[in-house]
Amino acid sequence: MAFADIFGYLQRFRMMPSSMTDPVHATTDDSTLVRVRGLTTVLNGKTIFDALDMDIPRGKVTAIMGPSGTGKTTLLKHITGQMRGDAGEILVNGENVATLSRERLFALREGIGYLFQNSALLTDYDVFENVAFPLRQHTKLPEVLIRNLVLMKLQAVGLRGAAGLMPSELSGGMARRVALARAIVFDPMLILYDEPFVGLDPVALNQVLKLIRTLNRTLGITSVLVAHEIEAIKQVADHVFLIANGKVVAQGDPKTIAADGSPWTRQFFGGEADGPVPFQYPAGDLGQALGFSGAVK
Amino acid sequence: MNPRKRTGGNVVIQSLEQIGNGGLFLLTLLAAIPRSLRYFRETIRQLWFVGAMSLTIIMVCGLFVGMVLMLQLYHVLSIFGSTSASGMVVALAVYRELGPVVTALLFAGRAGTAITAEIGLMRATDQIDAMELMAVDPIAYVATPRFLAGLIAMPLLTCVFCAMAIFGAHLVGVTWLGIDNGTFWSNMTAVVNLRTDIVNGVLLKSLAFGLVVSLIAVYQGFATPPTSEGVAYATTRTVVASSIAILALDFVLTAFLM
Repeated sequence: MAFADIFGYLQRFRMMPSSMTDPVHATTDDSTLVRVRGLTTVLNGKTIFDALDMDIPRGKVTAIMGPSGTGKTTLLKHITGQMRGDAGEILVNGENVATLSRERLFALREGIGYLFQNSALLTDYDVFENVAFPLRQHTKLPEVLIRNLVLMKLQAVGLRGAAGLMPSELSGGMARRVALARAIVFDPMLILYDEPFVGLDPVALNQVLKLIRTLNRTLGITSVLVAHEIEAIKQVADHVFLIANGKVVAQGDPKTIAADGSPWTRQFFGGEADGPVPFQYPAGDLGQALGFSGAVK
Repeated sequence: MNPRKRTGGNVVIQSLEQIGNGGLFLLTLLAAIPRSLRYFRETIRQLWFVGAMSLTIIMVCGLFVGMVLMLQLYHVLSIFGSTSASGMVVALAVYRELGPVVTALLFAGRAGTAITAEIGLMRATDQIDAMELMAVDPIAYVATPRFLAGLIAMPLLTCVFCAMAIFGAHLVGVTWLGIDNGTFWSNMTAVVNLRTDIVNGVLLKSLAFGLVVSLIAVYQGFATPPTSEGVAYATTRTVVASSIAILALDFVLTAFLM
C-alpha cells in the first residue's frame, strides 16, 4: 500500500488528528509563523500591550523575556486564542486567531503544544493516559497504535519507565517532561513553553533544555519560551524579544542583546534592582500615607 | 478600597448576578449535551462517583430516618389508639417530603461539594486550561457529564432512600413495637397513590433537586477563583445555596403538585 493510500485511509476514518490534515496547519512559505501587529490590550485599566509588533520565526527557538507582570504569559494566551486584544491582530500560520470560529480555533490548537509552568497534568490519569489523552480525544486510532505512539513520546523524554506512575508520584522535572511528551504527541508546528525552567534543579533544567533543543532540531518545531533564566536562554534560544511597558524594547540573538547597552537590557541582563523597572511600585506621597503634613521623600 | 465591598445593596446585586450567571451556565450545559455524548464513558464514571459512592450514606440515613419516624409516630398515635396507621403515615411522609428532600441535602453535602472541589482544583492547577489548549471542550468533557450524572443519580438514590426508610419503619414498628405486619402493609398500599406520591413526590421532586444541586455544584466549581481559599469558599457556597434552593423549591413544587 502506497503512503498516499495509508494517508487517505487514516483521513477517511478520522484516525489522524486535524493538526496533520487540516488546511489550518498546512505550512506556508512564510518564514514567520506568528506575526503580531499593533496588539493593544488593556486589563483592569492597565495597559499590558501598547501597539505591540513581533515576528516569531518558523523553525527557531524564540525567547520572550521581560520584567514580571509585563504580560509574557498573557501574550502566549493571545497566541492560543484564550484571550483577545482590544486592538491589533495575531496571525498564526497566516490565520488571524481573533477572528477564528471556535471549531477553527480548536483545529488550530491541535497544532499547538503548550507547556504549563505547573505542568497541568490530569491528576485522575496516570502518565500513559495523560500523554494518550489528546490522541483518544481527537483520533480513532487502534489501541495498539496509541500505545506505540505514547511509548515513543515517553521514550523521547526519557520516561517510558514511568508510564504507570500517577502525577502525584512525579518530581517537578519529571512532571514537566511528561507534559512535554503530551504537548508533542501530535507533532505540533508550534510549542509554547510558559516558564519551563522554574523550580528545576540543575539536572532537570539541563534535561528540559536538551529536550527543547532536540525537538527543535530534529522535528523542526517552532518553539516560543517565556523564561527568566538568562544562561539557559543563551544556550537554547536563537532569537530573544525583551518586552517592557507593553512594547518590544530590544530584540536579537541572545549574545548580541546581552551586550546591548540600553538601560532596559543593562538592568535586565545585569540583574540591577533599580532602573527603567523601578524598585518602588507606583504610590502616592509617603508623608501623606504616614499622616505627616509635609511631604517625605 | 474594594469597589464591591459588602454593603446591603451590593450583596443583593451580587446574588442576582450569581443567579443570572447560573441561568446562563445552565443554557451552556444544555447546549453542550449533544457534544458530551461522545464522552459517554466519562458520564458513566461520574455516575459511579456521585451515585454508587453515595449509596452507603443514603442507605444508612434512610434506615435511621424511617426508624425514628416510626418511633415518634407510634408514641403520638398510641394516644389516639390508632397505631396501625403509623406505617401509612411514614410512607406518605417519606414519599412526599422526606425522601426527596433529605436525599438531596445529603447529595449536596456528599457529591455536590466533591464536584465543586474537584472542578475548582482542576481550575487552580490549570487542568481546565490545558484541556482547552488540547482542543477539548471542558464544558462538554468536565461539566456536562457531572451535571448529567447528578441528574440521573438523584431519583435513583431517592428511591433507595425511600426503600430503606420503609424498611427501617417496618423494623421498628412491626418487629420491635408489635404492629401487625398485614395491617402495616395493607394500610400503606391502600393510601399511597402512584401518580401523586411516587411520580410527583419521588420522581419529579428528585429530578428537580438533582438538576438544581448538580447545576450549583458544577457552576460553583467553574466560577471559583483558582486559589485554595476560592475552592474552600466555593464548596461552602455549594452546600448553602443547594440547601436553600432545595427547601425553597420543595415548597414551590409541593404547592403546585398537591
